[in-house]
Amino acid sequence: MKVVVVGNGMVGSRLVTELCASAEPGAAALDITVLGAEDHAPYNRVLLSEVVAGAYDVAAIDLPGVVDPRVGVWAGVCAVAVDRAAQVVVDSTGGRHRYDALVLATGAAARVPELPGLRRDDAALTPPPALTPTGLGCDAAGAAASPLPGLLAPRSDSAGLVPGAHVLRTIDDAREIVAASVNARHVVVLGAGVLGVEVAVGLAGRVGPDAVVHLVHPRGLMNAQLDAAASEVAADAVARLGVHVRTNVGAAAVVLHDGRVTGVVLDDGTQLPADLLVVTVGTLPETTLARGAGLDVDRGVVVGPDLATLRDHRVYAVGDCAQPPDGGSGLVGQGWDQARRLARTLAERAGALAVTPAGPRPEASDGVPGDDCSCGPVDDSSVVKVKGRGVDIVAMGVSGSARPPACGAHPRRTVRLSDPDAVRHLEVVVQGGRVVGATCVGGGAVAADLVAAFTRGTPAPRDPAQLLVRAVGPVGGSAETPVRIPDRATICRCNGVTKGDLVQAWADGSRTVEDVARTTRATTGCGGCKAPVCGILDWLRAAEPARSAPAAPTAPAAAERGEVVRSDSRS
Amino acid sequence: MPATETHCPYCALQCGMRLSPPSAEDRTAPPDGGERRRLPVTVEGRQFPTNRGGLCQKGWTSASVLAAPDRLTTPLVRDATGTLVAATWDDALDVVADRFRAVRARYGPDAVAVFGGGGLTNEKAYQLGKFARTALRTRNIDYNGRFCMASAAAAANRSLGLDRGLPFPVTDLDGGQAILLVGSNPAETMPPLVAHLAGAREHGGLVVVDPRRSATAELTDDGAGMHLQPVPGTDLAVLLGLAHVVVHEQLADTDYLDARTTGLDDLRPDLAQWWPERTEQVTGVPADDLRRAARLLAHASPHRGGVGAYVLTGRGLEQSRQGTDGVTAAINLALLLGLVGRSGSGFGTLTGQGNGQGGREHGQKADQLPGYRSITDPAAREHVARVWGVDPAEIPGPGLPAAELLRALGTPGGPRALLVHGSNLLVSAPDAARVRERLAALDLLVVCDFVPSETALSADVVLPVLQWAEEDGTMTNLEGRVLRRRAALPAPEGARSELWIWSELARRLDAPGRWSTDPSAVFDELARASAGGRADYSGLSHARLDAHETATNGADGGGLYWPVPSPDHPGTPRAFLDTFPLPGGRARLLPVHHRGPDDVLDTAHPVHLVTGRVLQHYQSGAQTRRVPELARAVSDAYVEIHPLLAELYDVAEGDTVRLTSRRGTAVAVVRLTRSVRPDTLFMPFHWPGENSVNRLTNPITDPVSGMPEFKVATVRLAVVTGETVGAAPVAVVTVAAAPVAVTRGGAR
Repeated sequence: MKVVVVGNGMVGSRLVTELCASAEPGAAALDITVLGAEDHAPYNRVLLSEVVAGAYDVAAIDLPGVVDPRVGVWAGVCAVAVDRAAQVVVDSTGGRHRYDALVLATGAAARVPELPGLRRDDAALTPPPALTPTGLGCDAAGAAASPLPGLLAPRSDSAGLVPGAHVLRTIDDAREIVAASVNARHVVVLGAGVLGVEVAVGLAGRVGPDAVVHLVHPRGLMNAQLDAAASEVAADAVARLGVHVRTNVGAAAVVLHDGRVTGVVLDDGTQLPADLLVVTVGTLPETTLARGAGLDVDRGVVVGPDLATLRDHRVYAVGDCAQPPDGGSGLVGQGWDQARRLARTLAERAGALAVTPAGPRPEASDGVPGDDCSCGPVDDSSVVKVKGRGVDIVAMGVSGSARPPACGAHPRRTVRLSDPDAVRHLEVVVQGGRVVGATCVGGGAVAADLVAAFTRGTPAPRDPAQLLVRAVGPVGGSAETPVRIPDRATICRCNGVTKGDLVQAWADGSRTVEDVARTTRATTGCGGCKAPVCGILDWLRAAEPARSAPAAPTAPAAAERGEVVRSDSRS
Repeated sequence: MPATETHCPYCALQCGMRLSPPSAEDRTAPPDGGERRRLPVTVEGRQFPTNRGGLCQKGWTSASVLAAPDRLTTPLVRDATGTLVAATWDDALDVVADRFRAVRARYGPDAVAVFGGGGLTNEKAYQLGKFARTALRTRNIDYNGRFCMASAAAAANRSLGLDRGLPFPVTDLDGGQAILLVGSNPAETMPPLVAHLAGAREHGGLVVVDPRRSATAELTDDGAGMHLQPVPGTDLAVLLGLAHVVVHEQLADTDYLDARTTGLDDLRPDLAQWWPERTEQVTGVPADDLRRAARLLAHASPHRGGVGAYVLTGRGLEQSRQGTDGVTAAINLALLLGLVGRSGSGFGTLTGQGNGQGGREHGQKADQLPGYRSITDPAAREHVARVWGVDPAEIPGPGLPAAELLRALGTPGGPRALLVHGSNLLVSAPDAARVRERLAALDLLVVCDFVPSETALSADVVLPVLQWAEEDGTMTNLEGRVLRRRAALPAPEGARSELWIWSELARRLDAPGRWSTDPSAVFDELARASAGGRADYSGLSHARLDAHETATNGADGGGLYWPVPSPDHPGTPRAFLDTFPLPGGRARLLPVHHRGPDDVLDTAHPVHLVTGRVLQHYQSGAQTRRVPELARAVSDAYVEIHPLLAELYDVAEGDTVRLTSRRGTAVAVVRLTRSVRPDTLFMPFHWPGENSVNRLTNPITDPVSGMPEFKVATVRLAVVTGETVGAAPVAVVTVAAAPVAVTRGGAR
């Protein structure tokens, strides 16, 4: 079966890896062609903001390439047309690739807003012209022929913007921003979604105190994920990292001097100086190819639950370019999940599904816990977490301002912990006995616990407020003086000796650590309890004049109830 | 009787012990009173590098099992009415030999299978492997170490070319600045080891990865280190996340990687997929904690000027369907940091059973011959065949690994007879109800044991054997140190050593070769068979071990660690210092993937179940449940539940709950604790019958190591009303001349 994959990004490359893994390596049934517009091996796009922040080296974010005789990768070669009748993809070098299955994994492009001064007048974003076949010989059948890398691939998504203005979508964009930041003294980041926050915080860290970073957003910070209260706390958190946050005000125009960016005028008339402008106002699914092929395109390429396009079951779409029935999240988790599922479908279609050594699954389940709530299943891949030094913002499921209504059968509870002075804002939404949403700013480990509960659908406690503090830990504070250590508390774990046992040993005449070791064996294991044993003996010694006979220990009774050894109390 | 210097019968730390005659002021009973059982010896710790004189409660009370009232001292054979009755040794051995022969005649030699144990001495492990291959001529021999060390062994062999639990002396840990412990709880499972973690704790460098706030995790409190608490079954992903940070924050030891490893180019892009925020989402461990832990390890590593760092794994990581890959991820991390094969740093696994190390080197494993040789290697077969006095072609090929072997028992084409040594399968194997079914389907089950364990009580023939203080031999502890076990007591009338039993059976089965009953002579043969193998013991003998022990007198730095390829070779305390026994002398970095546990959460099974041990009990509890102090300290099967989860299910402390997995049900008493996650239950596995957590565990195995997924299952829970779970009664069989009325359990 000939499979053509258009797009060699995070999802396209994952699909190919999974497909190779799920089909018998020996079987020659698969012949996979990958067309990648970027002249680069697949890399981790999620980490581009970390590259901008200087946390990752640009060379360090490569993803695994596929080394498999069944796969031919054409890096730097775009697909320019699909002839569905002939089942052929035409590439930018004029090569023609026949397919039995075509997968569109073209991803998304950075959205460029209509902002006066932002675009180069002479650089309208047009797709590269389709060449007539030139004998370059990149028909899939002639895989030995080498394509000319980079011939016509777009260098970066920022190519259509005026000098000084950038978007951040490709590795080349990241390189250019990093280069531009070296001399930047006035940075403006337009758009305070997740990427905007990451870039602003990252650049603030990179340029240091000598430069100013403004983050401008027409609504509340991260308004797609956060409601107004959370957004305000998040803005405060970002401001404390050295970013000048300007929310609820949009940009009106870009100020140019000699064709270069020198400032940004805001809706309220303020003018911010700028020598580096980064535009992070969202993405648009890359659907040009699908549209040209006559496929249904809404926001993205419309696909069914099986990821096949509605009009043509030989054509599939995955990742950011796809619009599945439940909508595209723009998160890589969803794309990777689609890649895994589609790989399985295609492997089955190829009739080459590897025999998995595991036995039959007891129940069909996709790792998503069963949901008996009629409100619809939770998309467990919809966790949004902002990356970057010192940033701690996480949102998942039901969160933000626009929330789906709860059903009558499963009343919803929303519990909030508002602690703005400590830059903390936590909210959890429980419905049908499980966490269906949460928002955490400054939540620390609580956020990680909520992610685990949300993605796995584990039972939520009766009082959802309990979810806003850490559940695991010692009981109460540590008992710092022997008086407050309960008799049943284990002091020597190696030998199961409780404080009560030590008190009894004292009563029976043991006075030194050596005595106690002989009579109770405390301290004779790892020796780690020597200090607390000494402490208890000192306490008993101090109490001696006042109490000739220490109170009868209760430990043996507790031991019979089997309570002693697993005590949570610590020495 | 003079004092005897020997080692503890239980775990792989093999703490040094001195056994003396009970004196006037002896401890014939536990210090806290209770049943006064006359003990034949007094136990005390002695100076030895692993324990430095200390012992845990199990060690102190180990003499109690010697005086167990239901000690087996006569062979038992099940009669026509299904009752186990006392028999003479000659009769019992005749029955066994005749029926083995009959099964073999009817179904072929592979129809007789052997199941060994990681508690057997090296001599017995060796002789049992030889007995299976040359006397029974079966390929089907495996052992309970498959449930213990198989994943770590497979991973170490694959990445480093050699599997020696700790390839360095345990005392090296003392000098470590950081120690990463993944899925291990030594504070309960081998308490004296905790003393060796003290140095790292002083540096704030103990990092424990465990879904529970275990006793070991608590050791990280107060600035002693960090506890990373992943969702059960995601520890492999935690390791990938840590490795990601090491690589991408440029904390890796690039000189070491260049000089001593292969595979970095493949590993690096694979790790690019595990950035901390994604790892957090998969594991529940906060991204910042992952970064902090990775930096802590890196700063302790030699290439960044640290004093030294160690990565250690345990069953929590290994007893999983991705256990081999999990350990591989741990090795990758250690290699990235340049730790392996460097004095003062390293990678290791904490072996569980007393002779878990030696037990996996001398031929009890389905795919191995003595000296850690592969049974499919023609040169290895030839060498061993020469020592055994057989034709190489007569040595069978690899047999079924443990879990598969158990599944095949009594099935068409599967084994019809089983010989069990040192293993209580009915309690310790996964999916216990199914194991009971399979054992009941056999034509013949023979169990060698010294107490009537649950498995022994379901056997057709029970052969009483010796305990640790009654036998001589050698053990190889978790460091690969070969040490001497010495008899302090005569064997009780009626019990026999396995070496004697196999020599008798071998004679009855007309087996070729020599079948010595002298452990020292068997060791010499083992040494010859291991010569040239990876685990080469050829330079060792009982005499040399004794002399060495006298000379070093338990001081740190002593010890004979394999390989010891000649009588004048000093042993190998630290492996890999110069090279790895792999092509090019380089260790392999291998990309691995996280799949997670087989059991998934759903509405019918909404919480995780993790399993493990408690300090007072050892493995199936067959020994420790017979020690009054230990049984009293932890008497009943229990399950740990977080108070928030308990509230949800209206469960209170002390209630009895029924847990149900896709395999079956088990009941246990509730203990409320905030040391477990609210989405996770913990239940130890030391109890039989309906208290056995292994009725719930998943028998699915790791495709490389054959290790079952003991550690993670998903379950539901419900309160059991109107029932109480008593302490599982220890079935006491008093064997006199009269028949014993023990009806075989199971389906027949």
